[in-house]
Amino acid sequence: MKVKPLGSLEAEILDRLWTWRRPATVRELVDDLNLVRPVAYTTVKTVAEILARKGILHRVKRGRVWLYEAVLTREQHTATLMLNVLGTSRDRSAALAQFLRQSTADDVTAIKALLREHDAEAER
Amino acid sequence: MLAAYAGIVGLAVPWSLRRARWTYQAPGLAIGLWSGLLLSFTVTFALLLHHLAAPREPLHDGALRLLHSCTDADAVLYSGPGSDTAQALAPLVVSGWPLVCGAVALGLARFRRHSHAGLLDLVARPAPDLDAVVVDHATPAAYCLPGRAHRVVVTRGAVVELTAAELQAVLAHERAHIRGRHHLVAAMLRAFRVAFPGLPLARAAYEHATVLLEMAADDRARRGRDPRDLASAMCKIAAGRVPGAGLAAGKTAVVRRAERMLHPPQNPHPVTMAGAGLLILAAPLLPILFACGPR
Repeated sequence: MKVKPLGSLEAEILDRLWTWRRPATVRELVDDLNLVRPVAYTTVKTVAEILARKGILHRVKRGRVWLYEAVLTREQHTATLMLNVLGTSRDRSAALAQFLRQSTADDVTAIKALLREHDAEAER
Repeated sequence: MLAAYAGIVGLAVPWSLRRARWTYQAPGLAIGLWSGLLLSFTVTFALLLHHLAAPREPLHDGALRLLHSCTDADAVLYSGPGSDTAQALAPLVVSGWPLVCGAVALGLARFRRHSHAGLLDLVARPAPDLDAVVVDHATPAAYCLPGRAHRVVVTRGAVVELTAAELQAVLAHERAHIRGRHHLVAAMLRAFRVAFPGLPLARAAYEHATVLLEMAADDRARRGRDPRDLASAMCKIAAGRVPGAGLAAGKTAVVRRAERMLHPPQNPHPVTMAGAGLLILAAPLLPILFACGPR
């Protein structure tokens, strides 16, 4: 399972903005990223721009510098993502092979009964 | 005769195959049979269209032309006067139509997976010990993104609520989908449903095969494990979901899958297996035989 380096930088930038819960400059991001590994200022700037173009980051100018902030919170982003998976739209989730698609309370009762029956037989 | 065959394959066979018990015993074979039947129907439909376009021409000529056009499409496309080309083209278009739909279905699924993966990578934590990525979400769920940049995804809810053995069984199930290229089969069956809207065969094949693919992955995940783990994982994941509207009457697919895990199905009768295998091979050729045979 390989992750593209640029993709992982996207995640690292977002992770910081989500943790700080405030808008940040590219400089702040670079300084914090450099605590872990060396990344060039221009690289971070480019990736932040890509994220802004995708609508994931929001860009505001304060004084002479650009500030970036996440459009959605981490929880909102996850919720949107999982709606793709858990939502009822069959078309949207068809591309993802899911372990279990839909189920009802009756299903749970029925499977529990099967498990009990199985265990009783195993004990005998 | 050919029309009757089309009717049988398109209407009656799906009705009986959906109810056949052996399909749950040998899901792979059943999926093969559905595919063979779909191919057979397409050939029949192409021949019938050809017959309508050129009623005077004997049917076996049509069959020969169809065979010919499959092997030598260019020659048919660029040969002869206009009417002749139109006659030759009709069956060719019909045979090609599901292929076009298939390409579109594959492309669309890939696009959806790709855009999902982009959003996923921003929040998912890699879990190398599981060979999967974990999403911080309370609802227990597991799924995979098949294809070239494939990955298995589980939610925190699944990691918390399942035992280690149950989680491993679920992950093995998802990896079986990836390894078996199940998404390609699903896309192909989807394509037939789009290509022939309203055809009972296409609808039944898609709906039945989506369940059969899950069962095939279940069978793979069961190898070398206690099948009870997979069944109890199904129970926990089902329980974690907001219960959907209780539409399902009788045994739903989930219950059937759990039942298969706890009471492993025996292999179907060898005669059934051989018959189904033979039918898979023969199905696409049958309509051509009918067309060339005595009328």
